[in-house]
Amino acid sequence: MFGLFLDWARPHAALIVFAAPLAGAALAVLAPMARLAWLIAAVCAIAAAVVALDFAARGLSGGGGDGAGLFATALVACCAAAALVGAGALLTDWGPRAGRYALALALCVGAGWSGALLAPDLVGVFLAAETAWLASVALVALSGERDRGALNGALGMLGAGGVASALFVLGIGLIGRGVGTLQLAALPAVQIAMPGLAATGVGLVLAALALKAGVAPLHVWVGAAYGRAGGFASLVLGAVGAVGALAALVRVAAFAIPAPAIGAGVAMSLAGLGAASVVVGSLQAIGASNLRRLAAYAGAAQAGAVLISAALGSMAGFAAALVQLFAMAAVAIVLLGGGAALGGVQALHLLNGLGRRAPFTAAAISLGGLSLMGAPLTIGFLGRWRLIEAGVGAGWWWAAGAAIAASLAGVFYCGRLIERLYVRRAAAAFTGGDNPWRLALAPALLAGVGAIGLGLAPDGLLRAAAAAAAQLWDGAP
Amino acid sequence: MGWGAVSAELALWGALAAPIAQALLVLVLPRPPGLRDTLHILFACAGAGCAFYLVVAVAGGEGARMVLARPLPDVDLAFSAEPLGALIAALILGLGAPHAMHTAGMVRATREKAPARLMAFCALAIAAAVAVALSANLFSLFVASQALIVATFPLVAHPGDEDSRRAAGIFLGTLFASSIGLFLPAMVWTYAISGALEFQPGGVFVGGIDAITANVLLTLFVLGLAMTAIPPMHGWLRASTRAPFPGLVSIYALAIFPAGGVGLLKIAAFVFGPALNDAALAARALMVLAGVGMCVAALLALSKQDLRERLAYSCVAQSLAVVIGALLALPAGLFAAALQIVALSCAAATLLMAAGTVAAVTGRVNAADYAGLGRVMPWTFAGFALAAASMIGMPPFSGAWAKLWLITAAAASGLVWAAALVGVAAVLTFAHLGPLAANALAAKAPADAFKRPDGASILLAVPVLVSALATLWLLVLANPLAVFLAPIWTPRP
Repeated sequence: MFGLFLDWARPHAALIVFAAPLAGAALAVLAPMARLAWLIAAVCAIAAAVVALDFAARGLSGGGGDGAGLFATALVACCAAAALVGAGALLTDWGPRAGRYALALALCVGAGWSGALLAPDLVGVFLAAETAWLASVALVALSGERDRGALNGALGMLGAGGVASALFVLGIGLIGRGVGTLQLAALPAVQIAMPGLAATGVGLVLAALALKAGVAPLHVWVGAAYGRAGGFASLVLGAVGAVGALAALVRVAAFAIPAPAIGAGVAMSLAGLGAASVVVGSLQAIGASNLRRLAAYAGAAQAGAVLISAALGSMAGFAAALVQLFAMAAVAIVLLGGGAALGGVQALHLLNGLGRRAPFTAAAISLGGLSLMGAPLTIGFLGRWRLIEAGVGAGWWWAAGAAIAASLAGVFYCGRLIERLYVRRAAAAFTGGDNPWRLALAPALLAGVGAIGLGLAPDGLLRAAAAAAAQLWDGAP
Repeated sequence: MGWGAVSAELALWGALAAPIAQALLVLVLPRPPGLRDTLHILFACAGAGCAFYLVVAVAGGEGARMVLARPLPDVDLAFSAEPLGALIAALILGLGAPHAMHTAGMVRATREKAPARLMAFCALAIAAAVAVALSANLFSLFVASQALIVATFPLVAHPGDEDSRRAAGIFLGTLFASSIGLFLPAMVWTYAISGALEFQPGGVFVGGIDAITANVLLTLFVLGLAMTAIPPMHGWLRASTRAPFPGLVSIYALAIFPAGGVGLLKIAAFVFGPALNDAALAARALMVLAGVGMCVAALLALSKQDLRERLAYSCVAQSLAVVIGALLALPAGLFAAALQIVALSCAAATLLMAAGTVAAVTGRVNAADYAGLGRVMPWTFAGFALAAASMIGMPPFSGAWAKLWLITAAAASGLVWAAALVGVAAVLTFAHLGPLAANALAAKAPADAFKRPDGASILLAVPVLVSALATLWLLVLANPLAVFLAPIWTPRP
C-alpha cells in the first residue's frame, strides 16, 4: 500500500509536498472534533514528509538539480510532521476551536516554507514565504488566548515581517532589472548587465529571509515571540519557521554565489552577517533566563554558522551548511519540543533538579544541549567539524574560529543548563509533566536520540549533503 | 585470527567495559551497602585483570583493535592496544582496584550521603582515562578526554554546596575551553594537512611539515591538553581540590594527570614523531613553561597547609615533568615521561588515599596536625612515607628512576637547564613532603588522635600499603619496560 502511494505520488511529488498540508489545513479547520483535526493534520504532514523524503532521495541520486532545495524541503517537511505529531498532547494549550486553527496554521507554515524551497523563481519564493510567515504570526497570536503577552510577540512579528516583505519586493525588482530574469537556476549562468543593482537586490532578498529566520542582529521579533508564545507555537516557529527561512536563504545564496559578477559581494555580506549572528546569538543565549528564548538565541548562533558555511562558496562549504541546518533543526525540536512537554515551566531557575522530577524530558533537553555545544559524537559536532574543515581548506581561519567560539559559548550556556537539570536541587514545586508516552515529548526524544545516532553513524546524512552540494556545483558555470 | 588475538581483543573490551559496568551496577544496586561495595571492588579487580592480560598479550606481540563507530569520513571511534596505552591502562586499572577498596572504606567511615554516586563517577573517570590511554587516533583521544572531563565534573561538584558548584564550573570551563578552543582546531588542522588522525609510530606527518605549522600545532596540542596542568591552563587545579578524597584520588592519580600525560606522549610519539624536531622552538618554550611551572608548583605546595591543596600542587610538579620528557624529542625522554606517569600515579594514589584515611579517622586535613600521627596509624604512614620518598625521587622508588632518566635525557639533548629545573623541583618536593612525613612518624603521638574509637578499618589501611608497595616495582621492571615500550619510538619499516 505504501509502495502504491509512492507510485501515485511520485509524478506530482513537488505539488503534493506543497498542497497536502494545505488540504490538511482546510480539513482540520472543518473537522468537528479537535482530536479528529489533529489526526487529519498529522496524517497530511506525515504524507508530505514521506513524499518529500522520497522526492529528495530520487532527486539527489541524479545530477544537475536543485540539491539545496530538495534536501531542505525534506528537512522542513519532516520537522513539520514531527511538530504536528507532538501537537496531539498540546491541544489543551487552546480551546477546541482555536486548537483546530492552530493545527491548520502549523500546516500552512510547513507548506509555505516547503513551497519557498521548491519555487523555481523569486516571485514564487516570496509568495510562499509570505504564506508561511503570516501563518506563523497568526499561530503566535492564537497563543494570546491564554497569555496576552503573545499578542505583543505577534505584533512584533507582523512589523518585522512587513519590513522584510518590503525589502524582498524591492530586492526582486532590483534583481529583475539588473539580471533580466527572476529564475533562480539562471542566476549562476546568466550574463548580468548591472552587477551593482543585482548584488543589491540579492542582498535585500537575503536580508529579508535572514530577518524571518531570526538571524542576529535582525532578530528583533524573536524575544517576545518565543518568550510569550505557547509551547506548540514556539516549536513550529523554531523547528519549521526558522529552519525553513534559513534553508530558503541558503538556497538563494547557493544560486547567487556562483554568479561571477555578484558572487564575491554576496559571500562577503553573508559571512559578515553570519559572524555577527554567531557572536550576538551566543551572547544573548548566555544571558537568557527562559528555555524558549535560550533555544531561539542559540538558534541564531547556529544560523550564523550556517551562513558562514554557505559564504565559503565551495562545495564543502554548502555541504557543511546543510549538515548544520540539519543539526539546527534537531536541536530546535529537542529544546522547544522538550520545553513544550514541560508546559508552563520555562524559566531556567524552575528547571533546577529536573533530572529527578522529569527524567525523560531532562534527558531529551540534555541531548539537545550536548549537540548544541558541539560535543563529540553528536550531529552538532559533525556540523562544526565540517565548517572548520571547509574553513581551513579555504584559508578562512576566522570561520574556524567562529565555529569554535560558538562551541565554547554553547559549552557555557548548555553546560549551565545541564548542571541545573542534574546537579542543582529543586527549590520550587514542579507543575510540569513528564510522561514519556505523551506525544508532546516523542518528537523531542526522537530528535535527541537522532542527534546522537547521526553523530555516531553520519554516512547517510553526509552523502545526502554532499550530493546536494554537488548538484549545485554541477549547475554552476 | 588466532585465539591469542581474540583473547587480546576480549581483554581490550574488558578493560574498557569493566569500569563502566562497575559504575552502572553501583548505581542500580546501591543497597545493601555490602553488595554495592563488593560489586565495586570485584569489577575493579576484573578490569585490572583484563588490563594486565592485555599487557601480557601486547608483550607477546599480539594486537587488538575495536571500532565503535565511524563518525567522520575515514575517522573511527576506535581503541587499540599498543605498548604505551596498554601500560597506562594497566597502571590505572591496577591502582583502581585498591582505590575501589579504599573508596568503599571511605564512604563507610565518613557516612557519605551519596556513596553510590561517588563510587560510580570514580569508576566512570577511570573508564574514561583508560579510553584515553587506549585511543587509536586523535579523534578517539579527543572524545575520551571530553568524556573524562564530564565524568570528573560530578566528583568536584559532589559536596553539593554553592562553593563546590562554582568550583566545578571553573573546573569544567577551563578544561572544556582548552580542549575545544585549542585541541580541536589542532586536530582538524592535522586532519587537513595529513588526511589522517590515526596514531602511528613515526607520526602522521609522513610528507613532512613546515616549521611554522609544526610550532603552532605543537603549542595548540600541548596547551589544549590542559589535563597536564601546564601553565596557564592550570585553572582547574585549585577548583578540583573541593572534591572528596576518593574523588581526588581519581582526579589526580588515576584519571586526569595520567590521561594528560599519556595523551601528550601519544601526540609526541604518534602524531609528531621526528617532526617534533621541526617544532623545536615551541618545544623549548613549552619546556621552559613546564620547568618553571614545576618549581613554582612545588613552592606553592610548600605554602599550603591543607593536605588536599599541598598534594594537588605536588602532583602538578610531577605532571609537568612528564611534559618536559615528552617534548625532548628523544626516545629516552619519552621513556622517562612514561616512567614518570607510572611513578606519579603510584605515589599520588598512595599519598591521597593515606590523607583520606587520616581525614576519615582523625578528621585532620592540615599538615600541622599530622605530627605524631604515624605512631598511632603506623601502616598508613608507612605507606605515606614510601610514597613521599618516591615523589621526591629517592632511590629505589619509582620516582627516582623516572627522574634519573629525565635528567639524563635532558642533559643528553644539551638542555642542562631543563635537567637543573627537574632537580630543583625534586628538592622543593622534598621540602614540602619530607619534613611532613618525618614529623608524622617521629613526633610524639597525639593523645586524642581518633575521632572513631576503632581507628582505620582494613578497607582504609590495606589499599594504602598495596599502592605504596607499587612504588617499588620500577626497581625490577625498568629494563623490561624499556624493551616493552621500544615500539613507540621505533617507526614501522
